[in-house]
Amino acid sequence: MTKTPLRVAKYVFLALAALCSLFPLYFMVVSATNTSADVIGSRLTPGGALMDNISKLTTQQNVGAAMGQSTIYAVSSALLSLLVCSIAGYGFEIYHSKHKDRLMGLLLLTMMIPFAATMIPLFRMFANLNMVSTLPAVVLPTIATPFLILLFRQSARSFPTEIIEAARLDGLSELSIFFRMFLPTMRATYAAAAVITFMAAWNNFLWPKVILVDQTFRTMPMLVASLTSGYVTDYGVLMLAVLLASLPTMFLFLVLQRSFAEGITGAVK
Amino acid sequence: MNINRRSVLGLGLGAAAVATLAACNSGGKNDQAVAGDVPTSGTLTVWCWDPAFNIYSMNEAAKIYQKDHPDVKVKVVETPWDDIQTKLTTLAQSGKLDQLPDIFLCQNNAFQKNVINYGDAFSDLTKGGVKFDEFPPAVVGYSTVDGANYGVPFDNGTAVQALRIDYLEQAGLTMKDFTDISWADYIERGTQLKAKTGHALISGQSGSSDLIMMMLQSAGGSLFDADGKPTIAKNDILLKSIDVLKQLQKAGLYVEVNSWDEYIRGFISGNHASALNGVWILGSVQTAKDQSGKWEITNVPKLDGIDSATNYTANGGSSWAVSAGKQPALANDFLKSTFAGSTQLYDTILPKAGALANWMPAAKSDIYQEKQAFFNNTAIYAQVVDYSAKVPKNNTGAYYYEGRDAASVAMTKILKGADPTTALDEAQKTVEFAMK
Repeated sequence: MTKTPLRVAKYVFLALAALCSLFPLYFMVVSATNTSADVIGSRLTPGGALMDNISKLTTQQNVGAAMGQSTIYAVSSALLSLLVCSIAGYGFEIYHSKHKDRLMGLLLLTMMIPFAATMIPLFRMFANLNMVSTLPAVVLPTIATPFLILLFRQSARSFPTEIIEAARLDGLSELSIFFRMFLPTMRATYAAAAVITFMAAWNNFLWPKVILVDQTFRTMPMLVASLTSGYVTDYGVLMLAVLLASLPTMFLFLVLQRSFAEGITGAVK
Repeated sequence: MNINRRSVLGLGLGAAAVATLAACNSGGKNDQAVAGDVPTSGTLTVWCWDPAFNIYSMNEAAKIYQKDHPDVKVKVVETPWDDIQTKLTTLAQSGKLDQLPDIFLCQNNAFQKNVINYGDAFSDLTKGGVKFDEFPPAVVGYSTVDGANYGVPFDNGTAVQALRIDYLEQAGLTMKDFTDISWADYIERGTQLKAKTGHALISGQSGSSDLIMMMLQSAGGSLFDADGKPTIAKNDILLKSIDVLKQLQKAGLYVEVNSWDEYIRGFISGNHASALNGVWILGSVQTAKDQSGKWEITNVPKLDGIDSATNYTANGGSSWAVSAGKQPALANDFLKSTFAGSTQLYDTILPKAGALANWMPAAKSDIYQEKQAFFNNTAIYAQVVDYSAKVPKNNTGAYYYEGRDAASVAMTKILKGADPTTALDEAQKTVEFAMK
């Protein structure tokens, strides 16, 4: 009997927490169908201005190009990142060297340097290589992230070393062990890492904005930012653009949701 | 591995040192380049923001210039102001100024700061033939450093007071009661309006000092003297301005809001009876289509007891800058023939984009006398142009934003009951520390 009030309290708390996380999403979706004045007036019911907002957004901005360019950037960044970081994480765990912990410490230390401090030297470097405003210049600095290396190192820890030794005895090369045994087993970790890197790249704003000087290549966050730069902001159009910019990450997360949870908790099947 | 605090600190300091060293930059003077031969062909790249306003105006200017210069192309790249500032800083600090466009738009309040810090990026336009005396002195002042002109003024930031005439009528008041008045008059009449209608007059974002800055400039005051030294402590005009705000708040005429959206909602929803800001605020006022004919504009109240007080001030606005080392002669000629020399341009962009001229000859055009239905059939553009010529000049300097932020903090403290002199002394010290 005493359990019931506790359970009620638990559900009330969870319902409140869910409301807090879902309400902004709901407001975003609803606002995309409302006029600017309605959004400012915090209208909470769907309106009829969706088509109007779409036509305004598409005449003002090249949304298709920005979506395409964001996709190219985020996908290439995520794929390269997964490849490089998983090899690094695997290497850190499987191979033995006196200095590897020291090196890992140094890597983790770089996580503490704010990006603003490295931005100017990084820009100079790419400018000297004549790579300003190019796709590789946007992607390259985002590929190796200490966090992902750490994530893969942690999950490699649960990968049984006996299997590796057995494979070596059977004559499998080190690369084959990685690609044919480690990679398929760690699918959940890859899924989690994919969601994280894709989201980080998709939402990355500062670096693309700095390095893409001539703006021939423009990502969705850059497009959204320019919608608020004028004297009069059309909030309906803005919300529509934000909604469009959030869709790919939401979609990816929903598809990989189960693996994401497994990957983060480090489960191996 | 043992990472001690010292090594972290060392790394951080190292990174900071790199950034700081890169920031040291000698202010170069490029005053001859704009007077050179003007090429007959080329592509001018322009960075500016707001498709409905700046970008539209620039494209119209391009059309006009191309009539006489068919081989000159203009490529406008939409770049929000924050991005222009970030890019300018990055490019200047990494010595890659060749990546700048030929022309870029710069906020008036940030203009001097950027010329002082990154002088190499800007062309000195003084000898380029633009008649700077055809612009209001206060506006030219924003982009003038050490007597040299670095910008062609464009967007007009002249302050206006827009009022709901239907509310005034309900309270037995007219626009005349709010024209050429002092803040003491304003509080008296505002109180009457509030008592009769229940509406507050103005609002402001909490912690934002826009209103104070406008009051300060209306009496020719600044946070810095002509040498760029902060003058926040013992600044009588600033003290008076904060005092007025305190009285406004006490009388319930000024309401603090949390965000810009809420600020806009204040007058669009009919909650607040007025909007007092740069003329660009009228763009937002006009989004309330149901209130057409219910608004009029007038000048702003002046400070009581200050000799230099006027009814005119400004907030915001922007000017075109020509970057050095690209095609300064062509870019200068382009600006000279359009934004500083084409009545036709302003005649086109005023009705379409509401872009008001700072260039005084354009204001003589008939189009400025046209009556606007939204504003109860009054000729608001002619009014604003008249005000803009009367705005007192103020010094922005290299640390305008630091000064404004410190003054905002002081203002918030004073509104909460702190001693004004102490709060402003602290603000002065904060800015002096930032300038070290």
